[in-house]
Amino acid sequence: MNDLLLMCLIAGRRAAIPAARVQSVIEIDQITPIPGAPDFILGLTAMRSQALTVIDCQIALGFGGQEPDSDRRAAVVQVGGHSYALLVEEAYDVGEARSEPIEVPGGFGRGWQMAARGMVETDCGPTLLIDVDVLVAGPVARAA
Amino acid sequence: MDDLLADFVAETREMLEASGGEIVAWEADPSDRARLDTIFRFVHTVKGNCGFFDFPRLEKLSHAAEDALADCRAGRREADSTLVSAVLAIIDRISEMIDSIEAGEDHPEGGDDALIAALNPHPDVPGMPSAEPHKSSETTQVTAASPAEGKADAAPKAARGASVQRTIRLPTELLDEVMKGVSDMVLARNDLARRLRDAGDHPQIDGPFDRLSTILAEVRSSITRMRMQRLEHLFSSLPRLVRDLSTELGKQVMVDFEGGEVELDREMIEMVRDPLTHIIRNAIDHGLEGPGERIKSGKHEIGLLKFAARQSGNQITLAISDDGRGIDADRLAAKAVAAGIYSQAEIDEMSDRRKHHLIFEPGLTTAEKVSSVSGRGVGMDVVRANIEHVGGSIDVTTKSGEGTSFHLKLPLTLSIIAALTVGSGGQRYAIPRSYVEEIVFGSSDHVDFAEAGDRRLVTFRGKRVPCLALGEILGSEDPGSIDWATMTLVLVRMASNDVFALAVDRVYDHEDVVVKPIAPAIMETGLYAGTTLLDDGRPMMLLDLPSIAQKYRLIDEMRSMARTLPEEEQTEQRKARPVMLFTGLDGRRRAVRLELVRRIDTISREAIDIEGSRKQAVIDGAIFSLLGLEYGELPEGRCRLLRLSDGEHEVVYAVSEVLDAADMDGEIVPSSADPAVEGVTLIDGEPVPVIDGHGLFAAQDTARKTGRTASCRLPANSDWARTILEPLVEAAGYRVSTEAEEETDVAIELVDDDLRPASPARHVIRLRPEPEPAENDDESIYRYDREALLSALKRARVEKTA
Repeated sequence: MNDLLLMCLIAGRRAAIPAARVQSVIEIDQITPIPGAPDFILGLTAMRSQALTVIDCQIALGFGGQEPDSDRRAAVVQVGGHSYALLVEEAYDVGEARSEPIEVPGGFGRGWQMAARGMVETDCGPTLLIDVDVLVAGPVARAA
Repeated sequence: MDDLLADFVAETREMLEASGGEIVAWEADPSDRARLDTIFRFVHTVKGNCGFFDFPRLEKLSHAAEDALADCRAGRREADSTLVSAVLAIIDRISEMIDSIEAGEDHPEGGDDALIAALNPHPDVPGMPSAEPHKSSETTQVTAASPAEGKADAAPKAARGASVQRTIRLPTELLDEVMKGVSDMVLARNDLARRLRDAGDHPQIDGPFDRLSTILAEVRSSITRMRMQRLEHLFSSLPRLVRDLSTELGKQVMVDFEGGEVELDREMIEMVRDPLTHIIRNAIDHGLEGPGERIKSGKHEIGLLKFAARQSGNQITLAISDDGRGIDADRLAAKAVAAGIYSQAEIDEMSDRRKHHLIFEPGLTTAEKVSSVSGRGVGMDVVRANIEHVGGSIDVTTKSGEGTSFHLKLPLTLSIIAALTVGSGGQRYAIPRSYVEEIVFGSSDHVDFAEAGDRRLVTFRGKRVPCLALGEILGSEDPGSIDWATMTLVLVRMASNDVFALAVDRVYDHEDVVVKPIAPAIMETGLYAGTTLLDDGRPMMLLDLPSIAQKYRLIDEMRSMARTLPEEEQTEQRKARPVMLFTGLDGRRRAVRLELVRRIDTISREAIDIEGSRKQAVIDGAIFSLLGLEYGELPEGRCRLLRLSDGEHEVVYAVSEVLDAADMDGEIVPSSADPAVEGVTLIDGEPVPVIDGHGLFAAQDTARKTGRTASCRLPANSDWARTILEPLVEAAGYRVSTEAEEETDVAIELVDDDLRPASPARHVIRLRPEPEPAENDDESIYRYDREALLSALKRARVEKTA
């Protein structure tokens, strides 16, 4: 299993997003807020002539919000024909998966359990593989 | 008509191609119900379209096939191989005829009757028209041989047709791709423009850059045009269809269109053309009563068929309403039971609304008898299938005795809409301009705020309408803390005619925006219909007004139907002209015809340049002539300007304050003392001078048109002609001559001018002093009937150049 993964940090934990899903990693400077939208949607940002829906991964996983940071990076993914920017704490490099995603007895904890496809071994140690589709649906959809 | 014919040919061809596979499959298994339905729809559609054009043979053929197939659908007849081949022979004949129509040739006469006779369950038993025995025996052969022959025949004809066509078909994805590329280019250009500005003057770069911008703007608009078509294009074909149908059915129908300027994807227009035709057919045939019945039930004897289109975000709503008898829910239900679609128990549980939706069930109709126009219960199921096929939806609302409306919702994947950008809580939002009726300042004297329970109301021009603050809707502001007087009110009129006021922090601009879809989670808020990018590349949300109005229960669906009629009568009685009231720089009230006002600008004093008699203002990088300065000094700081347009040229007019819009329903008393004033009218009992828009534009140096200017001779001995008529004629693009000998293009004469000079002119326009024409006088124009006079002048000029 040599899938490429984008290694990142979400809510202080090491996580990985399948690199095949990631179109690019961008730095976000300006976000247009959308009043009335769920918390995990921070707003819209523009990448070239495309509007991206910015998702705060930490809130989408059910944790508290992130401190606004000047240098925020996001992974651009497409789900259902819409483009999203997944805002992460840190985005590192692309690494290789050394194992199949596996379940761990006792689960990964609240939030993680829903959004993770399992744990994979990487060169930097065990990492949670994020299910992008679930993450984009947000905590509200999962509760329903 | 040629366009329509080409559409008809193309459409029938497409259907033939699409149903090719179905036909083969049906032949293999004649009892296949789904195939039968498909082929039935095809012949039904052909029949319907033929009624529109004059193709009696096609209509007869398709009608016969439809009859036979309807019998099968109703179970009165078994679909056997004889029937299949007879129907196939007819379809082949239709295909041949379509080829002939396209090539502009007559299809060889004869043979039709035999084809129709072959549909008969027992072809050899009498029942066939006996008048042409020799002909039918000869044409039976044609039936047998026609599939092969038709193919051989059609090929060269189609090839000929193709050489005539000067258009090509492109996949819409390709257009989308190009469109997206151009949008990216615009953003890149804006970015570059910003950098160039920051870097200071670069004359060497600025020139080419401007050229690039111009080209880009042109390319962008052509690409947009490639995909879009005004709904007008579709509407323009409907009056004729309605007329033909209503004549055929002995009914009188008036058609009313609204929203023809709404633009729709070309493809989508083609998709709705057919369903729309079906709906119109049904409305005229079943919906509207005959004149006698209408008078009995207290309605106007002429039925009304109304089409209203609106754009809301990335959806078009098209409402087709009639004021006929409505759908009888119980009768529909009884038919559904009789047809075995639902059991009585199921029907009993249905609400009326649900029962009305039975109209979309296949094989159900309220018509008692089958007419040549519609009936047999096809139509609405086909309509729904077609609409849903393109991702739209259809809904029906009806009230017994009052009428029926069909609401079509059509998606718009990529659309450009005219929007108004407004601000709230430091953010910009876009509102589709089609909803915006008026913009009023909360600080205006004419606006009063009141509260009824928790609902805030605003009283404006005698009407009380609900008022919502955008900040309150978006949850970013507490309604209690809003200072209403500082807000700008956008009066919004929904498709249902309900009006409400939306209070925003400020109104920015009119803009054409490209709407893109938004993520489902944002859609769920029910507040937004899409997103668009501002010129600087930042995203902006497009508000979903219908859903906001629904959320706050500001729409009353049924009431809207009942209200449309009286309103229309009112407008007929009273020919009010809207004007905009303002105070000039001298503080006096004046008015200007609202049609002339394009927008209101506020600019700083520095952007105005006055030197001697040259007065100009710079707005958004364009230079405008500045007028209205004769009444006083410009204020320091910010100046309010009315931007006036005659359709070709724009000027700005300085005012000290914009007051209100009002209706000018009285007459204008002309005044020749002040050339800048067209006349004085009474508004709310007070005299208000109306500035002469034509005078303003005439005074501008607008005669820079190419080609010879048309000339017009005015009566030489009339002061009125010199002071009033001359500027108007000049504004219409004519050179004025008072020389009696000169041969002019147009001459204007006064009716009371007894000495009618016999000097030469190609056109003569006669003006009379009284509003009502004298007897035996049907061509003169009342001398203050500006519209009639201008259109007469325009006509004369067009004829001259033609």
